[in-house]
Amino acid sequence: MNAIPVLTIDDVATLDGVLADFLKKAEAELTVVIDRGGNVISQYGDMTVMDVTIIAALAAGSFAATRELARRIGEVEFNALYHQGNGSHIFMNSVDEETIMITVFGPRTTVGLVRFYSTGTAQQVALLLKSLQKGNHGFSFDASDITAAPIFADSAPPAA
Amino acid sequence: MSIINYASREIQFKIVYYGPALCGKTTNLGYIHQRINPQNRGDLVSLATAADRTLFFDFLPLNALVIKGFVTKFQLYTVPGQVIYNATRQLVLRSVDGMVFVADSQWEKMEENVESFKNLEDNLAKQNMSLDDIPYVLQYNKRDLPNIAPVNYLDYVLNNRKKRVQSFEVVSSTGQNVFATLNAVSQILLHKFSKQSDAGRPAAPGAAKPGQQHVVPEQQRSVA
Repeated sequence: MNAIPVLTIDDVATLDGVLADFLKKAEAELTVVIDRGGNVISQYGDMTVMDVTIIAALAAGSFAATRELARRIGEVEFNALYHQGNGSHIFMNSVDEETIMITVFGPRTTVGLVRFYSTGTAQQVALLLKSLQKGNHGFSFDASDITAAPIFADSAPPAA
Repeated sequence: MSIINYASREIQFKIVYYGPALCGKTTNLGYIHQRINPQNRGDLVSLATAADRTLFFDFLPLNALVIKGFVTKFQLYTVPGQVIYNATRQLVLRSVDGMVFVADSQWEKMEENVESFKNLEDNLAKQNMSLDDIPYVLQYNKRDLPNIAPVNYLDYVLNNRKKRVQSFEVVSSTGQNVFATLNAVSQILLHKFSKQSDAGRPAAPGAAKPGQQHVVPEQQRSVA
């Protein structure tokens, strides 16, 4: 928590522009930029069918888990991973040392097209994230803004 | 790593439940998932073996209070407690913002508790982090079992760092103090974040609630 990255409205708009352009060219459904701890940094596309937060946590785990496998064949890590389904697929590629990009796509496109466009997009995203403001982010609150009441309440499950 | 998103007006935090094998980390998340308002949580994802032992992690996303128009999102993770899964624990610890160390109160588990705590310190050090910098609380679980160590002793072996932290007597299977633990670590986390976000203002007071913490007076710490 030493340096807290801040996504300003302008940052998000720029990221959205880059991701929208990628989705259009690659004809994919959804793309999510996450940090390697599983936090969602930005997302664009059809998010109605899945919980992006969970996708991010699992994708970060999946990406990290293959690192050891990569080491066994003399690589530092795999730069990209592809999970093939029957109708929907996931392509993940490394953006930088801290960030991963996930793309969900269906039968409208091919993994080759997604892979091709994701490389350039990842470079653009990496440049943008590098310029993100850290610390002194302007958003501030103090203890009085935090409720004294318990943040999470233990409530009985709703009656069936 | 916490992230502030001005567009979606969200702040994200990652909290990891750490501790030895079979100490009740997954049970904590299971209880929270079962009892919290469904509108404030996502699905509980468990990557476990057929025998319900955590293989990779459990994950539960929660939405919480609004601060100045920003929604705070807490992502709860557990680590696999079994010794052989240390590489996985290191992965889950990545970008952690807050911790709950879950200890098994039974006498025969004391060595495993200490070993796991040491393992936590080692794994954080590998990521250039330290418990001195990360908000955390201790949870002494399974207080309903007959063969348990007294809280004084658990504090002596686990809460003996320079800075003492809050500890909770918990029965995760029934939910006793499960939410108290979660609320405590969340409050400490937010208070730390508030200090960071506004370093110019006076430091925020601690969020401890009277009666919730077991801070052993210095003179009682000689229990061996």
